[in-house]
Amino acid sequence: MRMPRLTAFLTATAVFVSAFTLAAQAAEEVHVLNWKGYGADEPWAVANFEKATGFKVVNDFFNSEQEMLTKIRTNPGLYDVVMINAAFNDQAMAGKLIQPIDVSKLSNYADIAKDKAGSPMLNHDGKVYGVPWVWGLTALAINDKSFDKPPTSIAEMWDPAHKGRVIIRDDAVEAVQFGAIASGQNINDIKDMDAVKAKLTSLMPQIKTFWSSENDWNQMVASNQIDIGTYWSGSADRAKTHFKLPVSLVIPQEGAVAWLDAFSIPVGSKNVAGAEAFINYMIDPKFYVEWVTKVGAPVSANTKAVEALPEDAFNRKVMGSPDVAKRIQFQAPVTDEQREKYLALWQELKVNVK
Amino acid sequence: MATTRVLEWLGRFYIVLLLGFLYLPIVIMAAMSFNASPFYQLPFEWTTDWYISLWQNDQLIAATWNSIEIAIITTLISTALGSMASLALYRYEFRGKKFLQALLFPPIAIPWLITGTAMLIFFFGVGIGRGLIAILLGHVALALPYVIVVVSARLQTFAPELEEAARSLGANQWQVTMRVTLPWIMPGVIAGGLFAFAVSFDQFVVSYFLSTPGQTTLPVEIYAAIRKGFTPEINAVSTIIIVVSMALMLLTARFFKFGGEK
Amino acid sequence: MADQRAIGSRRGLRPALPLLLPAYLWLTVAIFLPLSAMVFFSFMTDLPLAGKEWAFTLGNYAAFFSQSLYSTLLFASLRLGLEVTLWCIVIGYPAAYVLAKVLKGRSREAIFLLVILPFWSNGLVRIFSWAMVLREGGILDTALNAVLPFKINIDLMYSYPAVIIGLVHSYVPYMVLTCYLTLQAIDDSLIEAGRSLGASRRQVLWRVIIPLSMPGLIAGAALIFVPVVGSFMEPRILGGRTGTFYGTVIEDQFVAVFNWPLGAALSFILLAVVLIILALAAPVLRRAA
Repeated sequence: MRMPRLTAFLTATAVFVSAFTLAAQAAEEVHVLNWKGYGADEPWAVANFEKATGFKVVNDFFNSEQEMLTKIRTNPGLYDVVMINAAFNDQAMAGKLIQPIDVSKLSNYADIAKDKAGSPMLNHDGKVYGVPWVWGLTALAINDKSFDKPPTSIAEMWDPAHKGRVIIRDDAVEAVQFGAIASGQNINDIKDMDAVKAKLTSLMPQIKTFWSSENDWNQMVASNQIDIGTYWSGSADRAKTHFKLPVSLVIPQEGAVAWLDAFSIPVGSKNVAGAEAFINYMIDPKFYVEWVTKVGAPVSANTKAVEALPEDAFNRKVMGSPDVAKRIQFQAPVTDEQREKYLALWQELKVNVK
Repeated sequence: MATTRVLEWLGRFYIVLLLGFLYLPIVIMAAMSFNASPFYQLPFEWTTDWYISLWQNDQLIAATWNSIEIAIITTLISTALGSMASLALYRYEFRGKKFLQALLFPPIAIPWLITGTAMLIFFFGVGIGRGLIAILLGHVALALPYVIVVVSARLQTFAPELEEAARSLGANQWQVTMRVTLPWIMPGVIAGGLFAFAVSFDQFVVSYFLSTPGQTTLPVEIYAAIRKGFTPEINAVSTIIIVVSMALMLLTARFFKFGGEK
Repeated sequence: MADQRAIGSRRGLRPALPLLLPAYLWLTVAIFLPLSAMVFFSFMTDLPLAGKEWAFTLGNYAAFFSQSLYSTLLFASLRLGLEVTLWCIVIGYPAAYVLAKVLKGRSREAIFLLVILPFWSNGLVRIFSWAMVLREGGILDTALNAVLPFKINIDLMYSYPAVIIGLVHSYVPYMVLTCYLTLQAIDDSLIEAGRSLGASRRQVLWRVIIPLSMPGLIAGAALIFVPVVGSFMEPRILGGRTGTFYGTVIEDQFVAVFNWPLGAALSFILLAVVLIILALAAPVLRRAA
């Protein structure tokens, strides 16, 4: 669930500037901060939760992680639940923005996959600061028309047969981490930047253009202009099932970048009980199945929720296969310095392509 | 003068070519509003569904009306203020005039992203905040330099002796301006106004920053659509706008003279 | 732009103030003061927002000079601006001439308006439409192959020519209209007099028409060159992997890494360079006239 950068930037800026505390809230309200159109604001889900618990849900949205952090920093006490990408949990905890969660109050917590619940990104000093919710991948997707059988290796992108028909996202961090996978490195601990650079340099002549939104990707594949490119797992699934486009997700044997979204409770929440109830509802299998069927969703961190899906469901069959679990690398926090360094490398590559 | 006749016909043909170039993407935009695929996919499949769903898309329609309203007010204010300033820059010699003229270029040269960000920070800092007033402040300011440059170009062709002559015949400053100068620069004022409308109507950053929640403009909706899922409803609404403005413009051209015809 | 004709104009700022003040006050509140806040940012190490540490520095400006990347890109952008401006003159000036001197009456007024109308559509939607035209298997490709007896492959999308086409399309109306405004003002009798004195068409063009329409040409060129140098939307979308220019780098600093100070410094360098070029070019152009 990422947004094109321009809108994200604009909203974030608007928030930086207009960061003034809003009105006080009624005790029985649960204020939730999340991406727009990302499960928690589905009208049927809100209605179900309100009927079951008596709490009233008030949704607010952010368009980038920076904006989310600014919102909770500048509105202490306003929010009860905030959705934070695990890679940013550290930063939120260090800024004393979120509080430890009493997981004994969450009946569904025990069903969360152990590797995700135990993630060092969400646990600090033996306390839980984030409850894993859903996860997804930045992997490859192919144009079915261009392949007889799906490729298995990331090296396919470098195949001269696809020259001028490869597409990647115009995002420095994603490009560098992708280069790390292609050069066999850990995305969170890139030792050999030169190898990454060499890999990406040789990829540049293959590239048709850079994409920035789901719409770009779908337009390109609809007009049969590309063969293969990086794509998000949820988007690839949506393109195939919802828009009926010839798109298939490929998780290369070399690996893929995974992200994990989790729920936290901000410091100063006025309705911790409501927050716990809401988080528990969000990781409930019943909610999840309905979300997948009605809208389409990433993979739940709750194993029981995934098992409740039909056997052949994409999120169960493909994403849930143990083989995939072995290959993917979860994205760790990226510091501002790293971000700037990656951008400098990325810009240099783009300039030299001329 | 057979050559002249031939050259004139060549000229007319050239204008048709230019209009063809200018309208090519517009025609495609309109065609895609009748194509079934949301991804501009060919072959073409005729449908009017996008117009039907546009009809039910209250948010998009409301945003369009907001944009039109703001653009009209912006056009009126910036054309008036800009023409006044151009007159002053033309008529009077004073120290610092070159500097004032150079000041017209920062708003054009600096990418609107940066200008818009600067505006937002400043407006909040001084308490103007957001809302219609703030949007107008921003749009008019962005349109002003265009109006001044365009009107000034026209003024350069104006002979000051005309003003002198009128004055010597006993006309006061106001009469001179309204009866002599303004009619001469009218084509420039009209062109400036049309550019001002375009600047405001397509302005995204300032509108995004400064509109109050729930109240959006068309460009803001278009960018949001690209992230939420673009549909040719956008093409449909753009097509309607172009067709309606074309009709209005041709009507205007039918009944008013403003091209500077002598 | 004091010109010989303005000799009759009066001196002094005071009488000019009532006419000047509304526009310039407006610009001050909405543009100059906000931009001076940006100038302030451009000398900072970090934003003073969100409780971060910051200090004053010249580092953001030094960054421009320490990395060849930025000057290379600025040069590429200036070249782009120049090329687009030249194309707009080549395409727009003759059209303005025909509009001003050949067409008469209602049709002139109608075409005057029709030239600006495409501007009233959304810039992004226009760029999307160009993508439809220029890509392989797109409208241009299909149309040409339907007409031509031999097979050719046209794929202009995601290339430098695509950026030029998109930008020229967006900016050529400025040139047509500003040139029209000055061309239309030239008295036809002046042209006839030249012709009857035995001057050739070419001589009349170079000695009479172009010099007299120069203010429009200069205004149009400035209105095209200046924004094109800082443009980022058309290059990014139409240029594909070759679409990195100075404007896109500024955008990246603001949007991707939230480094406003560097982004602001880069845009003020751009502004300075553009103003210097305009200052150098204006007298040369006028003398040429």
